[in-house]
This record gives sequence, C-alpha cells and structure tokens, in this order.
Amino acid sequence: MTTKSILNSLTGKGIISAQQADSIASFEGEKAFSVHGELRAILYVGILLFSSGAGVLIYENIDTIGHQAIIAAIALITAGCFYYTYKHSQPYTHGQADDPNKLVGYVLLLGCSTFLGLEGYLQFQYNLFGTRYGLAAIIPTALFFFCAYRFDHRGALSMAITGLASWLGLTIAPLSVLSANDFSDGKLIIPAIALGSVLTAVGWISEEQNVKKHFAFTYMLMGGNLACIAAQIELFNHSAKLLYFFIGIALCCFFVLRARRAQSLLFLLMGTVYGYCIVTYVIFTNLGADAALGLGIFYFLFSSVGVIYFLLNFKKFLGIKK
Amino acid sequence: MIKAYNQTWVENLHIQRRASEWKSKNLLTADQEEQVKALLPEKFYRPGIFVKIGLFFFAVIACSFFAGLLSLFVGDTGSDVSFSTASLICCACFLFYLEYLIRTKNLFHSGVDNALLYAAVVAAMVPVFLLFEHAPLWLYCVIALALVIPATLRYADLLGPIAIFGLVFTIVAELMMKFTAGKALLPFAVMILSGSIYVLARQSRDIYYKECRQILEVLSLATFYLGGNYLVVRELNAVINGLNLSVAPQIAFAPLFYFFTFVIPVAYVIFGLKNADRILLIVGLVAFAFSAYTYLNYFSPLSASQELVLAGTLLISAAIALIKYLKTPRGGISDEQDRRNSLANLQAIIAAQQLGVSPGEQGLEFGGGNFGGGGAGEVY
Repeated sequence: MTTKSILNSLTGKGIISAQQADSIASFEGEKAFSVHGELRAILYVGILLFSSGAGVLIYENIDTIGHQAIIAAIALITAGCFYYTYKHSQPYTHGQADDPNKLVGYVLLLGCSTFLGLEGYLQFQYNLFGTRYGLAAIIPTALFFFCAYRFDHRGALSMAITGLASWLGLTIAPLSVLSANDFSDGKLIIPAIALGSVLTAVGWISEEQNVKKHFAFTYMLMGGNLACIAAQIELFNHSAKLLYFFIGIALCCFFVLRARRAQSLLFLLMGTVYGYCIVTYVIFTNLGADAALGLGIFYFLFSSVGVIYFLLNFKKFLGIKK
Repeated sequence: MIKAYNQTWVENLHIQRRASEWKSKNLLTADQEEQVKALLPEKFYRPGIFVKIGLFFFAVIACSFFAGLLSLFVGDTGSDVSFSTASLICCACFLFYLEYLIRTKNLFHSGVDNALLYAAVVAAMVPVFLLFEHAPLWLYCVIALALVIPATLRYADLLGPIAIFGLVFTIVAELMMKFTAGKALLPFAVMILSGSIYVLARQSRDIYYKECRQILEVLSLATFYLGGNYLVVRELNAVINGLNLSVAPQIAFAPLFYFFTFVIPVAYVIFGLKNADRILLIVGLVAFAFSAYTYLNYFSPLSASQELVLAGTLLISAAIALIKYLKTPRGGISDEQDRRNSLANLQAIIAAQQLGVSPGEQGLEFGGGNFGGGGAGEVY
C-alpha cells in the first residue's frame, strides 16, 4: 500500500477532495527525513558511556591526577550543567512543560550524575559526611526532587526516588528490587512496603490533583513494584500472613482499579499478576500437599483461562467505555 | 483463504494510522479523520503492550496445563507413539482455539493468539523429535521450516521470520561446515544469503506482512554486516577450526574484511539517510559502533575506561553538533520531533537503573557505571 493508493481510496470514499489529496501527496514527497530520535539516542548513549567511563578513569588514576584537580573538574562540569539547565529552562507549570530546547533534559541528567560522583568523591576522600550516611543520601535526593519538578524531568525524578529509597537502605531500580535487596531478615520489609505505598499514593495524588500528572507513572511503577514484591516476600516467609495477604491484595485491587483511569495498562497487568500469585499461594498453602497435587492441574488450567477471559474483557468488567 | 486475519481490517488500520499522522500535520481536519475511522473501520482487539504480555503469559500457562491434563487421559505416556499422539491432539486443539478466538474475539497479535500459535508449532514438532531420532540437524531444520513457513504466511507472526531466518542459516552453516572449503567461504556465503534475503524481502508489498518484512530486513542487514566484520570472522574462524589459543590467529583475506568492516556501516548510514530508510540508518549506526569496537579491540593503545570516556565525549559532541547543525532542515534531513517521545518513561527507568543511587556496602565505591552515592546499608 503506497501513499498514492491510500489517497485514492480516501478520495474514492469522498472523504477528501482531489486538491487536498494533491497537497498531501506533495507534502509526503517533500517531507524531510527526521533523525530526531536517532540523535537523542546517540546523545543518551554518549552520556551513559561518558559518566561510567569517567568514574572508572578517575578511580584508576586517583594517585596521579591529584584530588583537588579532580574535584574541581567534576564540580565545574556539575555547575556548568546546572547553570545551562537553569538558563534554558521553562518557567514552572503544573502540567508537562513543552520543551523547545531539546538538549536541556540531557544536560540535567549529566549534571545529576556528576553531582552524585562529586558527592561520592568528597565522601571517599575527605569523609565529608563522616558516618552520617543518611545525610549523604538525602542531599542528592532533595536536589533531584527539586530539579525534577522545577525542570520537569522524569529521569531526575526516578533518580530522586532511588535516592530516597537508598536513604532507607533499599535498592529500588526496577531490575534490582529482588536481586539487590536483602529482605531475609525482615527488617527492610516494613520500610519497603511503607515507601512503596507512599510513592504510589504520591503518584495517585499528583494525578488526581493534576500536579505533574505525567510523573504518576514513574511514582506508581517504582513504588508499586517495591510494595507488592515486599508484601509477597513477607507473605511467603513470615508468620503474620493474614496482614500481608490483605496488604498485597489491597495493592493489587488498587492497581486494577487504577487501570480504569490510567492510560497505561501496565498497572492492570501488575495488579493481575501479583494478585494471581498471592491468591494461588494462599490457596495452595491452605490445601495441604495431597489435595494440592490433585487439584493443581485443574486449578492452573481453569484459573489461567479465567484470567485470560478477564483480560480480554477487562473494559467490560471495569466499565471502561470505548 | 490463506490469511487468518481480516485483510481489509489490516489495511484500514494502516490507513487510519496514516490519517492520524496527517491530522497531526494539519493536512486533515478532525472531522475527516473521524470519517476515515467510520468509513474504513477495523474491529481488531488490540490492547496495550502490557495487557498483551499478561495475556501471553497466562495463555502459556493454560496451554501447558491443558497438555498436562490431556496426557492424564491418554494414559501410558511412556511410549513414544502415544506421547506423539497426545502431542498431535494438543496441536489440533490449540489450532482450533486459535482460529476460534481470532473469529469470535477479533484477536490480532494480542498475546493469546501468539501463545496458541507457538504452542501448536511446538506440539507439532514434538513427534518429529521423538520419531526421527539421531537424524542430522539439517533435517530437523527442514521439517521445522515446512511448518513455520506456512504458519508465518497465514498468521504473519513476528517470531515467524526470526525462526525462518535462523533455520535457513543453520541449514546453510551445517552443510558448509562439512567441507574445508566451505568453512573458509562461510563468511561469503552468509553475506550472499543475507543479501538475497534482503532483496527478496524488499519485493513484498503486502501490508499484511509489513512487520515481518521489516524484521527480515533488520536481520539480513545485521548478518550481512556481521558476515563481513573482521572481529566476528577472526574469532569464529578460530572457534570453527578448534584452535584453543588465547589470541585468535590472523585470517585469510584480512584486508578485504577490514574494508567490509569500515565500508558496510558507512554505506548503510548513507543510503539510509538518502532513501529515508530508518531501518538501514539504525542498523548502520549500531554496526558503526560495533566497527569502532572491532578496531579498538585489536589496535587500541587505550584502556577500557579511557575508551569509554573518549567514545562518550565523541558521541555527545557529535550529537550536539548535529542537533545545532540541523536546526534548519538540510539536504532533506531534519531534526524535527515528528512523534511524541513515547520512550520518555523508559528513559526515566533506565536512568534509575544506570545512574541511580544504590545503598553502598562499605562506604562508597566507584565503578561500572554505578556511582555508590549514598552508602546507607551498613547503618540502617
């Protein structure tokens, strides 16, 4: 199907005039090839390579370069990035800022990561914060939250959220929630659930109140995953099962209901999958081994067909029009 | 009736997409876009990607437990013949449900149909493995091709072209590896084969197979490049000939492969820009990065971290220079943002993964892209 055949069928149906078809055809013929996405991707990869390479490079040459020189260089880059961002930023709005200068976001991200490097370096070399690690974690967190809202940047926001989590001693980066956190002693579970719920609530509130609505996705994804995984681990491991069952199920219901209004159906999936795991676990632990073996095959067959049916008809169940 | 999905709806879907593109450029009015949707309708069930993932996941569970349930009734699953029979019955059931759901629920690559199709193909392949024991690898591949090609033609599944591509290359490699001359000429065979697949794929004009064609293009461009890449040829040459050396030895025709390594990515990028072909351009850029890695791997005086910093600096400055240069479109190329940045959420997640603060173990560490900025784990 070429542009021409599409235009022919549109004129054939009487939707557009022949004149309009001509103007569309000539627009398609002269349209410039946009390399916007590709250039942004190159820039993004460049920043990732540079910041990871620079970290290692400094570490390797710590003896030869001289600490003051390194600190001055990093500080200079950081200050430069923040200055550039500030100078080119749009005034604050509650909505999503329409950013004509497409570089700002990337410069801000570079600035944030070098700021982390700078802080880490100062601590490593001069023990700036002593043993007050909490302070060391909360300073960048506060800065990143400020930057995220002031300059309207989701990347800075997610860095701020990881900072906040690390202040509690958690790793929250999406792929490391399970692998990098030591939930086994149970001490981290309560903070994890609390932080996850708070983040989810903040996401919810920002959507309801229309304050940086587009941040809600990041808040809910990171917070929701953390809280759900923590609640499940606690459910599987520890004694107060009923409490964590209800926490987990409440979170899952929340996500499924969120899907009513959220544009992203990711939350519907999260709610369904986590909820399915919890319900399945509870049913099978209460049945005992023999009954579970006999019923298992039927349970999984019919429950997964049921979930498929739910997902195929979720619009009807949740009362979403369209 | 070779195609499983409604061809008219597939075409209308494409027309609707083009119409909304033109609408965003103010070439169509909102009324006209509505009219397009009303007069050229499609009724496919197309949920978001995440619901698709969920549907796929649960459909896989359902299929495997269906197979388990069936094997309970067939009984005597120990013997090959009864197991094969059970497997074929499964295959028939999966295909029946697949067709039934496509008809009644208007599925269109919605997760469930993908899962059912894969389950059916796997179930159809099981008897082949059980009944032809110790057959040569290429025979299995030929039988698999005989199943996958019709399935792809009917369902236009995205995994289809990938499977076909892999199977064809396995057959060719397997047959060529039997001869000494074949081993030496393998890179050229790969390049010729990829080139022909690319040319053949480009012939397809049917919108029904658009995504399949694009996948074939990406794969054949990538293997064409890798077949001529110096690093790949040199290292694989050592592996194929069973040389267990710490440094792979120099290869025959080395200058030719240097030439390929450099010229192919550049040609991809140039033709991609010239013909406004995004696939060529992106594969070319990635290939160029791999060429740079090839060069650094053999001839670089720098350490890994120095290379990273250098590469990062070059990329950042090149990107910034080009963004500034393309403020006004030049030579048919522009830096205009023509669609909404749909990756913004993804970028935020990558930033959290790569740059974010993680609780350090012992004080603060530098390394591997993770700046240990916080260091809270010990105390809290």
